[in-house]
Amino acid sequence: MLRLGIDFVRRFARNRAALIGLLLVIVVIGVALAAPWLFPRNPLRIVGRPEIWPFVNSRYPLGTDSLGRDIAAMIAYGARTTLLIGLCASVTATLIGITVGATAAYFGGWVDEMLMRFTELFQTVPNLIFVLTIVSILGQKIEYVTIAVGIVTWTPIARLTRAEFMALRDREFVQACRAMGMGNLRIMLGEILPNALPPVIVLSSLVIAGAVLFESAVSFLGLGDPNVSSWGRLIGDGRTLIRTSWYICAVPGLAIMVTVLALNLVGDGLNDALNPKLRDR
Amino acid sequence: MSRFSRRDFLITTAGAALASSMAEPALAGLETPKRGGTLIGTWGGFEPQSLFVPPGGGSSPYFTSTKVLERLIRLTVDLKFEPVLAVDIKPSADFKSYTIKLREGVTWHDGNPFTAEDVVFNAMQYWKPISAGVSLDALESAEATDPLTVVLKFKAPVPEFFLKSVLAGKSGLVIPKHIYAGSNIITNPINNAPIGTGPFKVKEWVRGSHVEYLRNEKYWNPGLPYLDRLVIRWWRDPASRAAAFEAGQLDIGTFNPIPMPDIARLASGGKIIAETKGYANSAWVTTIEFNQRRDIFNKREVRQALMQAIDRQFIADTVFFGRARPSLGAVHSSNTIFFTNDVQDYPFDVKKAGKMLDAAGFPVKGGSRFKLSLVSAGWFEENIKIGQYVKQAFEDLDITVDLAVPDRATSLKRIYSDYDYDVAISNNSGGIELIPSTTQYYTTDGIVKGAAFRNATGYSNPKLDEIVAKMTVETDEPKRIVLAKDFDRLATIEAPLLPMVDLEPVTIVRSDVRNHSATADFMGESWAELWLDR
Repeated sequence: MLRLGIDFVRRFARNRAALIGLLLVIVVIGVALAAPWLFPRNPLRIVGRPEIWPFVNSRYPLGTDSLGRDIAAMIAYGARTTLLIGLCASVTATLIGITVGATAAYFGGWVDEMLMRFTELFQTVPNLIFVLTIVSILGQKIEYVTIAVGIVTWTPIARLTRAEFMALRDREFVQACRAMGMGNLRIMLGEILPNALPPVIVLSSLVIAGAVLFESAVSFLGLGDPNVSSWGRLIGDGRTLIRTSWYICAVPGLAIMVTVLALNLVGDGLNDALNPKLRDR
Repeated sequence: MSRFSRRDFLITTAGAALASSMAEPALAGLETPKRGGTLIGTWGGFEPQSLFVPPGGGSSPYFTSTKVLERLIRLTVDLKFEPVLAVDIKPSADFKSYTIKLREGVTWHDGNPFTAEDVVFNAMQYWKPISAGVSLDALESAEATDPLTVVLKFKAPVPEFFLKSVLAGKSGLVIPKHIYAGSNIITNPINNAPIGTGPFKVKEWVRGSHVEYLRNEKYWNPGLPYLDRLVIRWWRDPASRAAAFEAGQLDIGTFNPIPMPDIARLASGGKIIAETKGYANSAWVTTIEFNQRRDIFNKREVRQALMQAIDRQFIADTVFFGRARPSLGAVHSSNTIFFTNDVQDYPFDVKKAGKMLDAAGFPVKGGSRFKLSLVSAGWFEENIKIGQYVKQAFEDLDITVDLAVPDRATSLKRIYSDYDYDVAISNNSGGIELIPSTTQYYTTDGIVKGAAFRNATGYSNPKLDEIVAKMTVETDEPKRIVLAKDFDRLATIEAPLLPMVDLEPVTIVRSDVRNHSATADFMGESWAELWLDR
């Protein structure tokens, strides 16, 4: 097991870009965790004159927005919102995706037909519009945004899981399990899933990046939760001032770009580490 | 600099603006208007739910319907009534009946003639039951004595300025009897492509984009309109409207179409003008409303305390970049007839507000006095910021605030249909005449579930109702003004809802657009006189 772990780290580390990505993700996580210490007051508080440019006043290193709120504080707290939504949405999507995909592939037949048609139904609805619909029905709460993003992003995971399960379900070791009289659930979870998991994990890590973008889009359009600080909302609020104070959009925009890029790099690294045979292709 | 000196200064400048605008028609007369061309217009809000919303429905449908539907009279910028579809309106000696003489030779867009029967239908079937509501309560009958004369009879005396304001106001649009008779006026599908007597005919409405109007070749005023085509297009956000102006894709935008900080930049080139005239009869305010159905906000002291917790000068300066000022009382300060500064003021004082809440029985317990849901109507960009600021102001009083800024449709539903809010931030625009455009937010008969921009707080006070009832029948103008001030004082001290800031809206217009902004409510005019110097 330990050897496997070392192998994994070695393969991951061989991808320099992935290492940089990981470093950036750790920085973002660090900022998110340290936010209450760095900025002890409510990040949405009006603290100074509106539209102070970055690097002008040392009290507000990244400047203030159109109402006079500290952009640095909003970015730090926004990192929490962003990562939380990303993680939760990814977990939701992965759970739904694996359940649907595994059940469909393992049982086959009409179960497969039905579940796959159901998946396609979700795939045909444009994702962002689907998210906006769910949020406008359920309400502007951060929980609902998370659920909405989870609901629209599970389909690729379901299809991938199904493909992996299909490839594995008739292999000798699975047949052996059946011959021993193991239950379906035990075979699925205990035997097939661990073998099918690596590519699914890679995909889930990419879903986090997607979720960050979705949350930003929802907040940008003004449908996010106005009670929490979020990068997308900051961009949305700042866009009316884009001609005069473009930094209000640019700073959170940069934060989103860096985070999403880093998450994608980490995803690549995970792919190299978990599917070593694919790497040289 | 004290508040009052600032106010005096503003009143003086407003007076100067008024004087200069009165000179404008003479100036405009020097140039010969040019015929033809397409004008693209917009306003600082979104697309309406329908091109014409019979019960009102806010400024967006008002903007789109008034290019097609006309009124009997209109109010000029110097507050005089001018004939439109009616050439004369005269009260009887006891003010209990009015004789309306109609214009000859007016036809509807479908070719049918406009007659006294149409006005009778409007008075009894549309204005009284649907659009004007309580303001025409006293209307008993309408009778066509000949094809061009209508006599309106009332149960009680009706003040002349009041009735003419109703007829010239938002609720006085004249709709065709032959189209609407026998149908449900509110749900009639023709409301998406209304037929009127106005200078423009609806060509098509492309939802999500624009509505296109064509010149009415058979308009009753020969030579008008000057334009061949009028397009009203909607943009989702102010920054893109500013970009559209710069790209030459937009000629005129009423009611703060572009971000305030962009105004100076755009106007500096000389090709684009920022115009503040044309809003006298649609005075805009941002209101704060306290839902009386909640026990906490049913207490007057709580409402007064919360009013004091808000720094309204901050809202005026930071959110509106100085193009607004803190309100005083329930009447807009630009109202030259009814405004009074002899009302309760609510200066910003957090400490006092806190003490008032303590005294009202809401001390801080476990870090919070109480929890409230704050709904800030998302139809204007500014309301997002105001919502966030008010949330903070209340949090400074140790009140837990759950803020929501829903889209236009959801905001209308939550505030005016479901009453699903504790404190709401909304907007309205009132006319010079206070009944009903201002009073309906305070009176009991203004509570109409589902009707947008009425009394949504559920506030009901027999004393206030009585003052308004007296005002409705008082025909002596000086006495009416006294009653109006009584109303203002009581409404302000009760504070079920109050304006937070009086807005000073701006129209952004290209310099080659002529003859604009010369009426008391330019946005709701037909725009027949607009022409392009190209």
